[in-house]
Amino acid sequence: MYDIINMTISQEQIQDLYAFTRQHFVEHYDLQTELVDHLANDIETIWVEQPSLSYLEARDKAFKKFGIFGFMDVVSQRQKAMGKRYNMYLWQEFKKWVTFPKLLITLTIYFGFYTMLSFGIAFYVLVGTYSIIAIWSIYKSIQLNRQFKLRKKKSNKKWMLEEIIFKQAGVSGLLLMSQFPSLHQFSDMMLSSNSMLSLVSLCATLFVLWMYISFELLPNKAEDLLNETYPEFSL
Amino acid sequence: MKLAHFVIFLDENLLPNSFMHKNIMYIWSMANSKLYKGSLVTIILKLLNESDKMYGYEITQKVKELTKGELKITEGALYPALHKLEAEGLLEVEVKKVDNRLRKYYKLTEKGSKETVSKLHELQEYIKTMQVLVNPKLSLE
Repeated sequence: MYDIINMTISQEQIQDLYAFTRQHFVEHYDLQTELVDHLANDIETIWVEQPSLSYLEARDKAFKKFGIFGFMDVVSQRQKAMGKRYNMYLWQEFKKWVTFPKLLITLTIYFGFYTMLSFGIAFYVLVGTYSIIAIWSIYKSIQLNRQFKLRKKKSNKKWMLEEIIFKQAGVSGLLLMSQFPSLHQFSDMMLSSNSMLSLVSLCATLFVLWMYISFELLPNKAEDLLNETYPEFSL
Repeated sequence: MKLAHFVIFLDENLLPNSFMHKNIMYIWSMANSKLYKGSLVTIILKLLNESDKMYGYEITQKVKELTKGELKITEGALYPALHKLEAEGLLEVEVKKVDNRLRKYYKLTEKGSKETVSKLHELQEYIKTMQVLVNPKLSLE
């Protein structure tokens, strides 16, 4: 009677699988880890059926099962799912600003805008507010980008949610810059009705909150959010 | 094209035998090669409902084993579905070091358990409807 010797993946081969996923456009450690375990399991199963196959042959056989686009679909869908998670964190934070006690700050910002816009200098108020936020968001984008690079250098790992937290706000900043030309449409005539004044004040308040949450609050809470999302983050 | 569109053509009074045979074969091959998105989610939820936690590869192997190889979950479809369910709060994850690597386990949240019941009910209703269309005589009995 013969003993069946199960061939298992070595530590070096695990490292090679990490490199393999990177070569196939999986940049983030969280997804790499899951795919490495999947490939390792499949290679070990392939070895049970075909023990004569080399590691590289078994690895390529396992990879082929992901289809002609390889890991690309998995990566894009993961990004979509993580974007959804980021929006959920954004929303959770936002909800605190429409309930007590932070609601008082939100109302102060809202009535501040409402009062300033009703003085007949709406255009200057909007351009002034816009310029302050734009300069601040550019400064924060550069700062967050630098922080992200330092974190990556320190840990040698890149997490998908971490990248979204530190870079998504910058995208919002760019979006903001692109809207600058449309400001001239807001004349004092247009803001003469109470309903229009309320609407513009509300939009400006929401915009200030969105910028503050994405540029300041979420990056400050990054460690907690990453620990909550990735149990392996502190392993 | 959806399975339902083909099944409707299976009434033997409407079509000649040769055509019907071709269509049955087509459905058979589709069922083997392509897993419908809605069913995939239900399968994942059902499997996780029956065990405490599972990892991705284990799910593919379990489906293969239960269906004796008739149904194969493709890797390219499984992970997007798992990540979507996780983002929706239906699944939660746990990571453990197993052998020389990290393994990510999925398990149902409370919301996920409720969703499993509703998805299974939905699928059972769908199968019932399909039975009526495929075999009207049987459904009348």
